[in-house]
Amino acid sequence: MANSPTRLSRRSFLRLAGLSAGAAALAACAPAATPAPAAPPAATQAPAATQAPAATKPAAPTAAPPPAQPKQIVVAQYADVVSLDPQDTNDNASYGPEKLMFEGLVGFNEKMEMVPQLAERWEASADATTFTFYLRKGVKFHDGTPFNAEAVKYNFDRVTNPDNKLKRYGLYKIIAKTEVVNEYTVKFTTSEPFGAMIATFAHPAGGIVSPAAAKQGAEAPAFGKKPVGTGPYKFVEWVPGDHLTVEKFADYWNPDQGAKVDRFIIKPVPEAGTRINMLLAGDAQFINTVPYAQVKQLKGNPNVAIAENEAIYTFWVAMNTQKEPFKDKRVRQALNYAIDKQAIIDSVLAGYGKPVDSPLAPRVWGYKSVKTYPYDLKKAKELLAQAGVSGFKTTLWAAESTEAKQVAVALQAQLKEVGFDVEVVTMEAATLSAERFKKFEENKSMMNYAGWSPSTGDADWGLRPLLAKESWPPASFNLAFWDNPEFDAQIKAGLQTADPEKRKAAYAKAQEIVMEEAPWIFLWVNQVLGGISTKCEGMVIQPDGIAYLRTGRYK
Amino acid sequence: MFGYFVRRVVALIPTLFGVSVAVFLLLHLVPGDPARMVAGLDATEADLVLIRQDLGLDKSLPEQYLTWLNNLLHGNMGKSTRSRNPVTYEIGLRMPATWQLTAVSITIAVVIGMVTGIVAATRRNSVWDYGSMVAALLGICTPSFWLGLMLMLIFAVQLHWFPTSGRGDWRHLVLPGFTLGAGAAAIIARVTRSSLLEVLNQDYIRTATAKGLRPATVIYRHALKNALIPVVTVVGLEFGYLLAGAVITETVFAYPGIGRLLVDSIGFRDFPVVQGILLILATQFVLINLVVDLIYAWLDPRIHYGNA
Repeated sequence: MANSPTRLSRRSFLRLAGLSAGAAALAACAPAATPAPAAPPAATQAPAATQAPAATKPAAPTAAPPPAQPKQIVVAQYADVVSLDPQDTNDNASYGPEKLMFEGLVGFNEKMEMVPQLAERWEASADATTFTFYLRKGVKFHDGTPFNAEAVKYNFDRVTNPDNKLKRYGLYKIIAKTEVVNEYTVKFTTSEPFGAMIATFAHPAGGIVSPAAAKQGAEAPAFGKKPVGTGPYKFVEWVPGDHLTVEKFADYWNPDQGAKVDRFIIKPVPEAGTRINMLLAGDAQFINTVPYAQVKQLKGNPNVAIAENEAIYTFWVAMNTQKEPFKDKRVRQALNYAIDKQAIIDSVLAGYGKPVDSPLAPRVWGYKSVKTYPYDLKKAKELLAQAGVSGFKTTLWAAESTEAKQVAVALQAQLKEVGFDVEVVTMEAATLSAERFKKFEENKSMMNYAGWSPSTGDADWGLRPLLAKESWPPASFNLAFWDNPEFDAQIKAGLQTADPEKRKAAYAKAQEIVMEEAPWIFLWVNQVLGGISTKCEGMVIQPDGIAYLRTGRYK
Repeated sequence: MFGYFVRRVVALIPTLFGVSVAVFLLLHLVPGDPARMVAGLDATEADLVLIRQDLGLDKSLPEQYLTWLNNLLHGNMGKSTRSRNPVTYEIGLRMPATWQLTAVSITIAVVIGMVTGIVAATRRNSVWDYGSMVAALLGICTPSFWLGLMLMLIFAVQLHWFPTSGRGDWRHLVLPGFTLGAGAAAIIARVTRSSLLEVLNQDYIRTATAKGLRPATVIYRHALKNALIPVVTVVGLEFGYLLAGAVITETVFAYPGIGRLLVDSIGFRDFPVVQGILLILATQFVLINLVVDLIYAWLDPRIHYGNA
C-alpha cells in the first residue's frame, strides 16, 4: 500500500482498536478497493481472519473476509453534469463523463491530436464541401444495435434539425446533406466550403448516439438522462447534484482501449478544498481541477500527484481597437511590452504556464510560433511617447474568480509603470458575459482579461470567433472589436480548402498579422491541473479542459 | 384555535403572491442573459435565437410573468433552463436531502445549545459560564466555510472517521450537521442562558427553592418551561434560516441539497428554478413561524389565539 506508516497505524488504531496490528493493517487496506491483480481481496484477507481469534477483542464484522469489491474509480469534478447528450452539451463538466460513453467518427487523444475513432479513414474534396468517412465494422451500441452509416446519418440529421432544439445545432448546421453511400460509408455535403469540417467532427459534440435510444426519448432531454453510445463504458445511473455511475461495456469494439476498471463514479464537488480533501482521504482517485493556489497542498504527499497537461487555452487582454487610445497600434504594442508575463505566471499560476508567441496555443492545429513581446519598459514608454499618449485612465474587466482577480490586479500594477491608470472591474460570470456580448454601440468594454480554447482543436475556431469582423459581439467573442480585412481574408482562405498545407499557410499569415497588429495584450498558455491518486494512472485533463478518463486504471 | 390556523394558512396566499412578484422582478433586474448561459460562449447566433424562443424570453416581461403565474396555479413551476427537467423534479430530488441535513443540524444545535445555556445559567459567573459563552461567541463568529473544511481535514482526511463529502448513510451527515448547527447552537446557548437567568431571579423560583425542592426540579420543572419562549422563537427562526441557508455547508460538503441548487441556478440565471426554490423556502418559513406560534400557546396558557 502507498499509505504512509504513520497514517496507517493511527487509522488502524482508531478504527479497529483491539485487533492485532498485522490483522488491522490488512483490514484497513481492504476497503480501499485494492488493485493487486495477482491476489484477489479474499486471499489477502485470509491471514486477518486466522489471526483474529488471537486478538483480545474478536471483532467479528471487521475480521470476516469482505466480498470482493468491484474496481471502481471515483472522480470529483468542479461542476455537475448538465446533460449526457453530446449534441445537446456545451460544457466541459458534461463532456468529460460523456467521453467515457461516446465516441465520434474522429476524436482527440489526451494531447489533443486527432485520432480515428468510429471511422477508419476519411477524405475531403479539394474545395472542402464534401467529406466521406469509411466506418469501422463490428461496432455495437450499448443497447446492442449495430453502428453503421444509417446511424451516422440519423445523428447528423438529428443535430442539424432546428426543431430538435439541440444546443449544438449551430456547430453542425453547415452540413446541408448527409448521405448513406453504403452500409459503412457516409458522405457529408456542406452548404459552403468549410476546411475545418474534419476537426468539427472531432469536437466532443460529435459523439455518435444510438438512433434506437434517441428515437425512444422523443425529446433531447430524455436521451440526455439515459444516454446510449459506443464507448468503453455504459450508463448506469445519474442522480443530478449527487453522482453519475457508468460501468464497463463488455462488447466494446477496441480491446486495447477497453474499460480498465468496473465502474466510474463521477461526483460534482464545486469547492476545490473539498476535492483536495477527498483525494487526500482516498474518497476520490481523480479530481478535476486543482487551482494553482492549492498545488502546495498536494505536493510532497506520497499518495497523490498532480496530473498536469499543457492546455490549448490562451489568455490575453483584448483592447477595444475602435476606441482611443487603442486605435493606435503603437499603444497596443507598448502595452504588450509593458507586461512582465513571466512574473505573473510565477506568482498567480504557480509557474504553470509560458508566455504565448501566437494567438493560438502550440497544441492547436495550424499554430505557428510568431514572436513574443518581451518585457521592455523602455520600449513601451518610447512607443507611447511616439503615439502621444500619457496618463490614460481606463477600465479592465475580469471575472470574479480569485485567479482572474489576481491577474487583473497584477496587470493594473504593471500598467501603472507606463502611466496607465487602470480601474479593475470584476463581475460575476453571467453579468460579465452579458456586458461583453452587448453590441458595439452599447458595449462599454475597454480592456478585457479573458481566455479561450478552441474545442475543435483547429486554428479556425481559435481565431475566427475572437478576431474576425463577423465575430463582433453579440455574434461572437471579438472583444477587441478588431476589424482587419487582411486577417479576415486569410481566415476565409483557410476555410476554402481542405488541403492541410494550404490551410496552414493561410493561418500562419493570419497569426503573423495578429501578432504584429496586437489587438490583444498576449499573455500565456497555461497547464491544466488535475489531482490523481498514486495508486491510479491514465487520467488527465485534456488541453481543452475536458477530463480524459477512459484510460483510467489502477496500477 | 382551528380558525386561527386556517386564517394563518390563508394569509400565506398574499404573502406568496408578493414573494412571487418580488422574486420575478428582482431576477429580471439582475444583469445576465439566460439564453447566453444556456448557449455557452462559443454558441452561434442561430443557437441563441432558438434558445430564446424555447425559453419564452422573446416575450414581454408582463407576458412572461403571467404565463409563469398561470402555470404555477396549475401546479406547474415550469422547466429548468439548465437541465430542462421540470422544476418540481429538480426541487423534489434535493429537498429531502436538505430536510435531512436541517433536521440533524437543528437537533445538534438544540441539544448542544440548550445544555450549554443551562450549564452557563445555573453556574453563573463560574469558569463553566465564561467557558461556554466564549465557545458560543466563537461558534457565532466562525465562518461555516472554514469550520467545514477544518472538520473535514481532521475527521475525514486524518482520522478517517467520516467520509469527506457527499450523501449516503448517517456518517455523511455528521460533519455537515455540526458545521451547519454550530452557529445556531451558539445563538441558542446565549438565548437559553439569558432567558433562564431572568426566570431564575423571579420570586416563584425563590419560593420553590425555599420550599425545599431539589435544585434540579426547580430548574427543569419550574424555571426552564417558562424560559423556553424566547428559545423556541430563536429555534424556529434558525430552523427557517437553516433550511434556506445551507448554501455554504452544502457546497463545502458537496451535499446535493436545495441550497447548492439555488446557488448554481442563480449563477446560471436558471430563473424558473430560482423562483420555485424561493417560493418553497418562503412557504416553509411561514409555516415554521406558524408552528412556533402554536408552541407558544402550549408553553404559556396565557397565550390565546381564539379571537385574534
